[in-house]
Amino acid sequence: MDVTMLRNRLSQTAAERVQVPAVRLFLALAGRSLQRHLTYRAAAVAGLVTNFFFGLVRIAVLLALYGQRQEVAGMDVAEVVTYSGLTQAIIAYISLFGWYGLTDTVYSGEVATDLLKPLNYYTFWLARDAGRAGAALLLRGVTLMVAYGLILEMRYPAGAGQWLAVAVAALLSWLIAFSWYYLINLSAFWTPYARGICRFGFVLAWLLSGFLMPLRFLPEWLVRLAYLTPFPHLVNTVVEIYLGLLQGPALIRALLFQGVWAAILIVAGQLLLKVAVKRLVILGG
Amino acid sequence: MRKRNRVFGHTLTIYLRLLGVQLRSQLQYRFSFLLDLLATALIVLVEFASIALVFGRFGSIQGWSLGEVAFLYGMVEMGFGLMDLLFSGFDPPHFGQAVRRGTFDQLLLRPVNITTQVLGSALELRRLGRIAFGAAIFAYGLQHTAIVWTAAKVLYLPLVLAGMVFFFGGLFMIGATITFWTVDSIEVMNILTYGGSYVISYPMHIYQNWLRGFFTYLVPAIFLNYYPALYFLGRPDPLGYPGFAPFLAPVVGAGMLLLGRAAWRWGIRHYQSTGS
Repeated sequence: MDVTMLRNRLSQTAAERVQVPAVRLFLALAGRSLQRHLTYRAAAVAGLVTNFFFGLVRIAVLLALYGQRQEVAGMDVAEVVTYSGLTQAIIAYISLFGWYGLTDTVYSGEVATDLLKPLNYYTFWLARDAGRAGAALLLRGVTLMVAYGLILEMRYPAGAGQWLAVAVAALLSWLIAFSWYYLINLSAFWTPYARGICRFGFVLAWLLSGFLMPLRFLPEWLVRLAYLTPFPHLVNTVVEIYLGLLQGPALIRALLFQGVWAAILIVAGQLLLKVAVKRLVILGG
Repeated sequence: MRKRNRVFGHTLTIYLRLLGVQLRSQLQYRFSFLLDLLATALIVLVEFASIALVFGRFGSIQGWSLGEVAFLYGMVEMGFGLMDLLFSGFDPPHFGQAVRRGTFDQLLLRPVNITTQVLGSALELRRLGRIAFGAAIFAYGLQHTAIVWTAAKVLYLPLVLAGMVFFFGGLFMIGATITFWTVDSIEVMNILTYGGSYVISYPMHIYQNWLRGFFTYLVPAIFLNYYPALYFLGRPDPLGYPGFAPFLAPVVGAGMLLLGRAAWRWGIRHYQSTGS
């Protein structure tokens, strides 16, 4: 039977039975996912050690590049150290090294039952990822920043206003990141080789987000190119707000841009899913 | 002696046949393979580009030019990439899965040398993308440095690459052996393998003493790339090691491979399966 038809019929009968608000479903799913991910503490510690180590080496390379200079492109030594720590802390939170969760369910067939759930497909995945991201932020993000803070001279946001801006930017960063991964993961509806396609999407983000190097260090033409994409809003914007490099109108503008990109990617995801579902053929058994 | 040769020949035939199976299965999906190859290559390109693009702003990294860094960087991408290709079967996460699922037990039942089977159990062809782009970065390095080539240097270069393949291959074998007990690959091994290859991609005098010390005395990766590079580039040794230090690469590599082999053999003898 056609998936859309089946879904409509099921959701009608479901709607007659109970009316559960989407927000409550979202929170319940996110809560369960958070619990599940908080369980893997040993794995988190192991990942933490690697992130921590790589951060130290990255700092060494950046400081060697600085040499005798106190400041480069508006970033001083303490700021570039903080940048390195932050970028390492954000890796797990926004799954910067890759997320193929959705493609796996397309190949295993689980996608069929997921599409039948009485919740928007994007929202369903977003909820699950919210729990994962929350756990990653607590277990790997915050811990990593504390660990670096103990041994290195780092910068911190000044005052509650800036902390709030950082929180909003970090939230939007996750929303943009997830929506982008969702979009490229949907390619699994078209091809059995989505992993290769997705990998492209991740690697592009590494350079253009300012994860590998602060964007201000890169040549101007590349920075301009980067800002035509949503990627700088994954890492660079969060870092610059944290360091206080964006203040006043520039800060508001950056947050607005993040919001616009999040909206664009979410809408694109909804539209692409409509086309994707039509292509889906589920084999019985 | 002849019998031994025959056994070796037989093992080699089986190894090549296993690789042939891998080759055919991965080339079955050409488009998928091509995409994976390109994506893997792109990773190398993007990571190196991030260094190259900021070099204009900084000029040098503690006295080393971009060309010299490209020499180091390209060597590691080629050496580690080649190792990753040949030792895919021992890649701890991959191998750990075989232990977890019990498919490793199937290999133990077959009347063929177990090391040969594991080596032949995977061949990540997409690593060729990494090797190719590593070679390109290396070529850039050669173009932008004035290496005075001698016969000795030409002969030594492949040995340096072999040193890296052996060294990291040995670490992969140790990592795989550990999964006999931990089932999952342990993260500390990543620091030695991926971390080690990252650390030796840069001129190692830039690091603080603890970091360089770790990769000199505990895990002697400094002799794999940095010291040979000093010799090839004709640079003085800022750390003051004996004159033979640049020529230790093959020795250190072979040593790690032997250590890996010893650990692996010991592990096989004490392996108890997970029962799955």
